[in-house]
Amino acid sequence: MTAALRYPRLLALQLRVSLTTAMQYRADFVVEGLMSVYWVSWNLLPLLILYADRPSVAGWDFPSALVVIGWFVVLRGILEGAINPSLVDIVERIRTGAFDYVLLKPADSQFLISTARFAPWRIIDVIGGFVILVIAFARLGRTPAVGDLAAGGLLMLAAVIVMYALWVGVVAASFWVVRLDNLTYLLGALFDTARWPVQVFRGAWRFLFTFVLPMALMTTYPAMALLGRIDVTTALACVAGALALAIGARLLWIGAVRNYTSASS
Amino acid sequence: MIRATDLRKHFRVHKRPPGLAAAVRSLWHRKYETVKAVDGISFAIARGERVGFLGPNGAGKTTTLKTLSGLLHPTSGTVEVEGHTPFRREGAFLRQITLVMGQKQQLLWDLPPADTFAMNRALYDVPVAQFDATMKELTELLDLGPLVTKPTRQLSLGEHMKCELACALLHRPTTLFLDEPTIGLDVSMQLAIREFIRDYNQRHEATVILTSHYMEDVVALCPRVIVIDGGRLIHDGDLRGLIKTMHPGKLVSFTLTAPMADDELARLGAITREGNRVVVQIAEAALREAVGHLLASASVTDLSIEDPPLEVVMRALFKDGAAPATT
Repeated sequence: MTAALRYPRLLALQLRVSLTTAMQYRADFVVEGLMSVYWVSWNLLPLLILYADRPSVAGWDFPSALVVIGWFVVLRGILEGAINPSLVDIVERIRTGAFDYVLLKPADSQFLISTARFAPWRIIDVIGGFVILVIAFARLGRTPAVGDLAAGGLLMLAAVIVMYALWVGVVAASFWVVRLDNLTYLLGALFDTARWPVQVFRGAWRFLFTFVLPMALMTTYPAMALLGRIDVTTALACVAGALALAIGARLLWIGAVRNYTSASS
Repeated sequence: MIRATDLRKHFRVHKRPPGLAAAVRSLWHRKYETVKAVDGISFAIARGERVGFLGPNGAGKTTTLKTLSGLLHPTSGTVEVEGHTPFRREGAFLRQITLVMGQKQQLLWDLPPADTFAMNRALYDVPVAQFDATMKELTELLDLGPLVTKPTRQLSLGEHMKCELACALLHRPTTLFLDEPTIGLDVSMQLAIREFIRDYNQRHEATVILTSHYMEDVVALCPRVIVIDGGRLIHDGDLRGLIKTMHPGKLVSFTLTAPMADDELARLGAITREGNRVVVQIAEAALREAVGHLLASASVTDLSIEDPPLEVVMRALFKDGAAPATT
């Protein structure tokens, strides 16, 4: 196996193992699938209430806000399907000491823990989110331009990287702070704010959600790119921000593992 | 070749007295103390040796094992395993070693062991032909049979351990770190695992370092023992030598068919009596004469001569603290 193909092959194998695990519990598969459909619908409710008697909020009309929600649902599907399950798994492994086995494998430990678990039924959320995006553009009465699609795709990728980097940061913190469940709860609650366009928030909150906790990078800017409302500078800043966060997360991970191996017993 | 020179591993731990007031105080003022888990240990182990690490709980056995396998950075001193510095965890090093921890598992809980085996095959880049051959060999030696296709959560403790061992050895490591590999297993399973480890050691000229609370494991598997207590090495040498140093003489046990006064028996050595069954500890020099005397006596039957059990030796060793370092 050549080095370049090694990690894609390992990823494919990890995905296959997760799928096999999910298939072991057939009842869960059905229940989780139904829950996904329920949550996709539930996400729309606050938006419907908010726009029931006003045409626009902070410069966002209903169909445009629907684009933000649609992408939020997709991103949450990715979070719940590809990121959180591994997070739960790694916390368990640190608690039971089985994390030692991860460190003893001849492969990158960050890669191994990031791909340890997937929840395949979350694909329903992702599909649901894309359906909302299609409905939103249908209500706008247009299709996104090719350039907007490309910019949107790029910023969506950046959004996934931002989310992943934040998650790695939380896991790395768990090496120092043992009670990780609080941190994940906090991250989950903060992530929920990303369902609203960042312009809804004012003053300090908008600054916080743009620069400190980059929720705006995760949903508002990709949605704006799809709608053709973003300028090149902001788009490039988003990509640069995502890369910086990814590098920061990697450094934090390396530091955390070093701390683990010199402090654990 | 494994070499540790003046190996030390110290942990800084937060310490506070019990109670709410102390807990609140510790929010601002933390008191730390240094725990010397391993405190200046040196040894060298040649390729193919089987060595037992002995010591009471908290002696530093597992810390030493984790340092050797690269999971822990030593505080000071040097460690070298087959030409590698373990804590760098280079791929070439990790492919040569394996660590089995009896109390921790690497098998995926919800899936049959075969799935974890396949995952490890990919992780260690084991060629398919070699994987199949190793699988066949391990299945035979460990009597795995249908176990590998049953979900791990449905396996008994012993079956689970056999599969953990197979999983840990699929890449044919040449250095085995085994931390309590037989914990919680019944006697026949312990015996099977022991035989397997010895067999693997001989087939692949693999170095085996074992820690176990079951002295029989160590007696059966390890011609050499390293005794650690309080983070320090207190004995490194052959097991028989350790027993002789700590507990000179043999234990002669027999059953009395007619009453015999304790005084008369006590002349032979220290006695313990349980009904008609008597155990006398007799110095080696006096053994021949004493046994001759006992056998000549019409009131003695069912006589046997044994080394003192290792448990007794260990208890004496750890009670005295530092024992003379032999070898």
